[in-house]
Amino acid sequence: MSIPTQQDQQEAKETLAFIRRTMESASTFSAVSGWGLIASGIVGLLAAWLASMRVNPAELQIWIPAAAVSVVIASGANAIKARGSNTPLWSGVMQRIAWVMAPALIAGALLTFALHGQGASQLLPGMWLALYGAGVTAGGTLSVRAVRWMGMAFLVLGAAALIEPGLGLAMLAVGFGGLHVAVGFDLVWRHGG
Amino acid sequence: MADNPVSEELDRLIHERMRLGIVSALAAEERLSFGDLKAILKTSDGNLSVHARKLEKAGYIKVEKGFEDRKPKTEYCLTPIGRRALELYIDRMDALLNEAREALERT
Repeated sequence: MSIPTQQDQQEAKETLAFIRRTMESASTFSAVSGWGLIASGIVGLLAAWLASMRVNPAELQIWIPAAAVSVVIASGANAIKARGSNTPLWSGVMQRIAWVMAPALIAGALLTFALHGQGASQLLPGMWLALYGAGVTAGGTLSVRAVRWMGMAFLVLGAAALIEPGLGLAMLAVGFGGLHVAVGFDLVWRHGG
Repeated sequence: MADNPVSEELDRLIHERMRLGIVSALAAEERLSFGDLKAILKTSDGNLSVHARKLEKAGYIKVEKGFEDRKPKTEYCLTPIGRRALELYIDRMDALLNEAREALERT
């Protein structure tokens, strides 16, 4: 039996690492849980329904808790899906998704308080939709096409709500409610959960 | 690695990096579209097509062509032969590293 050379060993290590990375990318590619998105969509619809009964449709007392509940639900659903497919939840790809989404989401949080403080709440729905769309579109480059399209659709809805603030609540319901539910079903159908 | 009997036993078809990537991705995800595979492997349409065709010819992957919203759609999945080939390939890589480790311990 011949002894593998140093170069053979190095190549073998690199090849196994490549296989691991590729498998991880493919798994994480569809790691976004469809059921989590559907549940977030239902929370979005409920929030829109509650907001419709208020004078200010961008009522922070409704939308901030709704966002927090959605994040918890989506994270839990992603964790369950990752466990089901034996994929590490906080993999390299997941970290990159978090990093590319974070700037837009942090900017959204800062602008929320700035605009609210300046009494420009009518611009909040458009800003939320546009920045969430920017984050999802960027994060979606590391995920399935449906997620990328969802991000772009949010950008369009955000643009509509910024151009015509009167449409804000309807756009929020369509985006955070309808779009999440529709894309969630698409992920469940195509990527098994 | 060509002169080494260990590496000579490797499956040459999936030893090529792009084909190994296709098989690895499909081992992790049951079914992937052409576009998804292209994004995962960060490659061009032409390159992916060429290598996928070779794997299909060898029976390692199955190609399903259809339509979605009236647009053509190509999806790939791994066959049992392809899965077995990847398992054997990984086993050979592991064996190679073990042999190297044992040789190091002997010296």
